[in-house]
Amino acid sequence: MQHRMLALAIATCCAALALPARADEAALKAEVDALRAEVAALKAEVQQIHAAQSAPAPVAQAKPVSQQPIAVTDAAAPNPGRSMSDAATANTTSLWGYGQIDYNHPTARAADARADLTRAVIGFDHGFNDTTRVYGELEWEHAIASASDAGESEVEQLFIEHALAPNYGVRAGLMLVPIGLLNEHHEPTQFYGVERNFVEQAIIPSTWREGGVAGYGNTDSGFQWDIGLVTSPNLGKWDPTSPDGRESPLGAIHQEMQLAKAHDLSLWARLNWLGVPGLNVGGAMFAGKIGQDTSKQFEGDANFPADNSRLLLGEAHVRWQSGPWDFTALYTRGTISDTQDLNLGFLGQPTPVPKAFWGGYAQAAWKALAWNQSSVVLFLRYEAFNTGAAYATQPQGLGTPPLPTQRVLTAGINYYLNPNVVFKFDYQDFRYDDPVLDYGNRFDLGIGFQF
Amino acid sequence: MQARWLLPVGIGATVVVQVAHAAQYMSVEQAQRAAFASATRFEPIAATIDAAALGVADSWKPLIWRVWNGNATAGWFFEDAVIGKSELITYSLALDASGKVTKLEILDYRESHGGEVRLAAWRNQFRDKTSADPVALDRDIRNISGATLSCRHLTQGVHRLLQLYSHVLAAKP
Repeated sequence: MQHRMLALAIATCCAALALPARADEAALKAEVDALRAEVAALKAEVQQIHAAQSAPAPVAQAKPVSQQPIAVTDAAAPNPGRSMSDAATANTTSLWGYGQIDYNHPTARAADARADLTRAVIGFDHGFNDTTRVYGELEWEHAIASASDAGESEVEQLFIEHALAPNYGVRAGLMLVPIGLLNEHHEPTQFYGVERNFVEQAIIPSTWREGGVAGYGNTDSGFQWDIGLVTSPNLGKWDPTSPDGRESPLGAIHQEMQLAKAHDLSLWARLNWLGVPGLNVGGAMFAGKIGQDTSKQFEGDANFPADNSRLLLGEAHVRWQSGPWDFTALYTRGTISDTQDLNLGFLGQPTPVPKAFWGGYAQAAWKALAWNQSSVVLFLRYEAFNTGAAYATQPQGLGTPPLPTQRVLTAGINYYLNPNVVFKFDYQDFRYDDPVLDYGNRFDLGIGFQF
Repeated sequence: MQARWLLPVGIGATVVVQVAHAAQYMSVEQAQRAAFASATRFEPIAATIDAAALGVADSWKPLIWRVWNGNATAGWFFEDAVIGKSELITYSLALDASGKVTKLEILDYRESHGGEVRLAAWRNQFRDKTSADPVALDRDIRNISGATLSCRHLTQGVHRLLQLYSHVLAAKP
């Protein structure tokens, strides 16, 4: 049918050409040119039709031929790397990943200099159909994970996502907690400095994930929202003899869905406003019971006095990116209730459970140079945080004084060879040295990439 | 898990219902109509792309339409796709007859994260851009924190379409 119309059109063109020329030569030439162009377009269209018929592309055929654009010179060639909006996305799988290699050199303790393959990550994203996907992130930390090594092998995320509409949906599985700026976006190309900032490690225990169900979405007016019902940390895991709880109170008790105690659940909620390009202002909270009824568990601690303990962590942030500038400020504060009796039992141990902990930072970054795909970004970050800002009151003489607030000034350079490969250098100045927690003035070198 | 949690969960569910109709994916035809309400014809165009000169991949083949309003060119319309983080984002770009951007639409977004590029406020940054503008992230286009890859790749996509217009289409009679 299309071929016949085409033949007819070409025949008409030829007939027109064969007609005796009555107009002047210039007009005739213009007419011939126009006809030539039309024949060329028709030729291309024939190629397109052949391609559509020979290639298994039902989607392309479904479009009305009149709307079918001519895809440049060789329409029959495969077209990798793109499909049209109505193309099926069923059973597509993509792999991604990132890596981070660090060198830390404490200036006062040169013997403690350390080189580490901090993280190697492989992620995948598989679409079952247009609306349902599974998303996973597998991570190796510190190069080797075995019974006799310090490394870890972990599943950092694994969840099913089902879009109910283009701009909202539900997720279920092991998910990153949507709090702060780093926890969800922790690839080394995404942050300044060799190491992640302290606030979002010590107070928000990045990379923090919990298992459960969650809703997500965004609105046309620029709001991005998340709400979730997920597993809680387990206060029963607190080890008063270890410095882990002083380094990061929540990092010491989050469960990472490893046979997680799931009697008590928590709620997370986040609201960001992105309505002005370059601006991200918002906050998040994570709240729930964390006692997990430890005293009533089959193999629990019958004397555990903090079954009803409750965690509340709040966070607020603002980030402004414009031209070469990138400014960030973030504050977060957490409380753990009903720790008085628990801490009484920990008397004499170095690490009781804090009642309050907090942290905040301000950061300015400036893209000083940019050429081709490369750029050099200078940054300065000031952090203050306290993992034991207050402890539950105890009988006279038995109380725990608050920890001193640690303050860190970091200055450094991110050199992006391209946007996905970064080399980093920074210097960190600590107010207090703490060899146990590895705090002390140092310089760091780092390599990071993502794909 | 206690009853008092049900209140915020209920509020969340209400929010879900409230925004249910806030945004829709567009078809190519809808995007064409939205960009050129009074157009009389969308003519598919064959263009020879010199990949090396434009600095694009040989396989790059955007779909191109010349938009007519009677006998006058009303503008140009493109459908193209870029990779977001790992999946394709399909988008359309409309230029007026002088090659100025009038509309950028996201037709299809498939990924788990970064979908905020659909926000109108972000897309409106491209309005009135021409091939003479940098059209580069962190220069004349601002980023969305948390959706950097999608922002960067879409910006690059618009940039290459503007270059295609100025190198190939602008000279068409």
